[in-house]
Amino acid sequence: MSGVLAAQGDAHRPSDVLSTLKRLGFGAVVSVPDGWLGKILVRIEHEPSMRLVRATHEEEALAIACGLRLGGVRTALLVQNAGVLSMGAGMVSLAQRYQFPLLMLVSYRGTPDDPVFYHVPKGRVTEPVFRGVGLSYACVDRHRPIGPQVEHAATFAEEASSPFALLLSREDIQW
Amino acid sequence: MVNVATARPTRADYYKVLAENLPPQALVVTSLGNASYLWAKVHDAPENFYFEDAMGLALPLSLGLAIAQPKRPVIVVEGDGGLLMHMGALVTVGAVNPANLTVLVVQNGVHAASGGQALTNASLDLAQLARAAGIASTENIDQPLALADKLRGRAARNGAECLVLATEPDLDVVRPPASFDPLLSKHRLQGAIGAPRYVHAVFGGGKLEGA
Repeated sequence: MSGVLAAQGDAHRPSDVLSTLKRLGFGAVVSVPDGWLGKILVRIEHEPSMRLVRATHEEEALAIACGLRLGGVRTALLVQNAGVLSMGAGMVSLAQRYQFPLLMLVSYRGTPDDPVFYHVPKGRVTEPVFRGVGLSYACVDRHRPIGPQVEHAATFAEEASSPFALLLSREDIQW
Repeated sequence: MVNVATARPTRADYYKVLAENLPPQALVVTSLGNASYLWAKVHDAPENFYFEDAMGLALPLSLGLAIAQPKRPVIVVEGDGGLLMHMGALVTVGAVNPANLTVLVVQNGVHAASGGQALTNASLDLAQLARAAGIASTENIDQPLALADKLRGRAARNGAECLVLATEPDLDVVRPPASFDPLLSKHRLQGAIGAPRYVHAVFGGGKLEGA
C-alpha cells in the first residue's frame, strides 16, 4: 500500500464505493463480473436497499440498466472494460440516443500494473474506444478518496443525461 | 420444430388483439421496425416505449422496466431475429423471472426490418427455448384468438410469460402517425408512470426525488 493511502487511514476503497452508491440512492446494479468485481457484487446482493441483476453480456446489461432507469430506479453498471468494448451499438443507439444517465464503474484491466498479461490488448484500446463512441469517462485518482470520485461521476452522468464511465484499478474495487 | 411454412396470421392481426385486450396500466415496449411503427399506428399511448434501432435490446430493457415497475404489467414485442441476437437475455429473464413481464416473440423467420433476409434458423421451437431458459409459462401460438385468451385469462403467475406468435413476414414498412422522437418516447412514459426525477444540488450530487 502506498504511503498516501496509509496516511488516509487505510481506507477500504471498495467499501467506500458501496457506501457511496447507497448514500446516493442507487437502487440497482447490473453487472457482468470479472475477477476484481466478484466480491463486491456479493456484498451488493446482500444490501436490502439494492437490487443486483446478473446479466449474460454487457450490452444486455446496459439495456437492463436503461430499463431500470426508465422505470425510475437509479442504476449503476459494474463491468470490465472488455464489456464496454463489446457494447458499442447499444451505447450509441440506446443509452446515448435516449439519453439515459447511467453510472458505469469499470474495472480497468490491461494497464501496465495489471499482472494478467492477456488483458493488455483491451487495456491499450480502452480509452481510444471510449472516445470513439463518445463515452465520457475519467480514471480514478488512486491518491484521493474514492467516494467523492464516484459521486462526481454519478453527478456528471445526470447533468449530461448520458452514461459516464469511471475506470477503476484493482484496489478501488476488489473487496 | 415449428412449421412456419404454412399461412400465418399477420402482425396486424395480433396487434388488434393486443390493443383490445391490453391489461390496465400496462407498459408496452416494441422493438425496431414495424414492431414499433405499427404499434404506434394501432395504439399510440404514453405508456409505450418505441425502439427505433438497438436490435435485440428491447427484451433486456423490458426486464429492467419490469423490475423497476413491479405493480404494472410490462409487455415487450420482440422479433425472432432480435431474440436470437441476444439470446442470453432470455436466460436473464428466466433467472429474474418477474411475474409482471410478458414476452411476445413475433416469429416470422426473417429479419423483416432490414428487408427480409433469412434468419440463421427460422424454425426453432422458441417456446421450448424459453422454457429451457427458465420461463415456465411459455407457448407457441398460431392464432390471434389464442393470444386473446392468454391476455384475458390473466391468472396470477409465479414468473414471466413468453408467448411465441407464428407470424407472416411484413416487409412493407408501415408509416407511423408521427416521426419517432426518442426523448419524447422516454419522457412521455416517465411522465405517465410518475417516475422520480433527478433533482440536482448546486454543489455536489443530487438524487432522484418524488413522483
